[in-house]
Amino acid sequence: MSWTVEPRDPRTQSEGVVAGYAHTARRWPSQPLVVRPHDTGELSGPAKLERRLPPSKADLAGRGASRALGQLIHVRARVVDEDGAPVPGALVEIWHCNSAGKYLHPNDSSDSPPDPNFRGNARLVAGDGGLVELRTIKPAAYSVPDTDGWWRPPHIHFSVWGRVWLSRLVTQMFFPGDPLNDHDAILNAVRDPDARARCIARMAPTAGGPGNALVYEYQLVVRGRKAAPRMP
Amino acid sequence: MTRLTPTAEMTLGPFFPREFAQGANDLTIVAGKRAEGEVIEITGTVTELDGKPLDNVVVEIWQADAKGRYDNPNFFGWGRAATDAKGVYTFRTIRPGRVGGRAPHINFLILYSGLMRQLQTTMFFELASDPVLNVVKAKERLVAKREGTVHRFDIRLRGEGETPFFDD
Repeated sequence: MSWTVEPRDPRTQSEGVVAGYAHTARRWPSQPLVVRPHDTGELSGPAKLERRLPPSKADLAGRGASRALGQLIHVRARVVDEDGAPVPGALVEIWHCNSAGKYLHPNDSSDSPPDPNFRGNARLVAGDGGLVELRTIKPAAYSVPDTDGWWRPPHIHFSVWGRVWLSRLVTQMFFPGDPLNDHDAILNAVRDPDARARCIARMAPTAGGPGNALVYEYQLVVRGRKAAPRMP
Repeated sequence: MTRLTPTAEMTLGPFFPREFAQGANDLTIVAGKRAEGEVIEITGTVTELDGKPLDNVVVEIWQADAKGRYDNPNFFGWGRAATDAKGVYTFRTIRPGRVGGRAPHINFLILYSGLMRQLQTTMFFELASDPVLNVVKAKERLVAKREGTVHRFDIRLRGEGETPFFDD
């Protein structure tokens, strides 16, 4: 199967130096990015990546006496390509902060309390239909150090592999209805309002779902579609 | 016909889990066996404006095997490393062969806090004629400096000596 990856649409993708996010002015290249031809190396990718990156449990919240603090949530994320075709076997990494806004990471210097029962991250393999499901707790909002009152809305980080090298997707999922969503420098760097809206999860009916957990559904669209057959 | 818009990429943030970046930077061993080819080390420092080294930058690579194949079941051409507090990343791998009309090369992908999306670049072993290297102006910045079996490939995100990056 051969794949094609078309140029990014600058309205639905952000890049460059972003107002209110100082690190972007120190890290995004000052020179224009160079357009290059794509060959096998860009349009192929590793098969069965879980051989290098072993999957983990799909539960960050724990149970009973070792249950993490916070609102239980159940995240259903579906990985599809630009044709809308599911990507079964896609590897998905997920991480987020705890219910007090603290990451399980030595570089998080905030004085928010850690939660010894919160596991912090998971690595999952998409099943049939491109679906991964994670039981966790809802992350809190937190203030960003050394900024003028920037608060990150509650969000979950995703790192996803699609069909080929250029399909790599790292993004963040937001929660519907949070007033901080309208002010976040990262979410609002995406200019197209529809593209922004697609970065916000959908709250699904809880009936028939796992007990005592709010259910959020999210779609992750990785770059790439089937190449059109060559003209004879 | 369905045509979905790819999800907007967003920054990796500063707190990419340390454990995610461990154990995937040695491409020379697959299922306990050593892959065929010349073993090399690739190392470099990732810096920002003014040359400050960056901690916990995620660097991923994808390359062909020693014979220029991407689909060799006995070589896993993908790897990942993260920079340490001094901004240094390291891979152990096999020197890739020529792929069709391409000079030997390794594709690099950079993910980090302050980058709104991934950056793509490519490391070459020499200033060769190559359809990708040919479209780059500062070609020498994409050529690793050889020190014995070690190939040094420093990545400057912005500023003096900036690494050329690709718009894919």
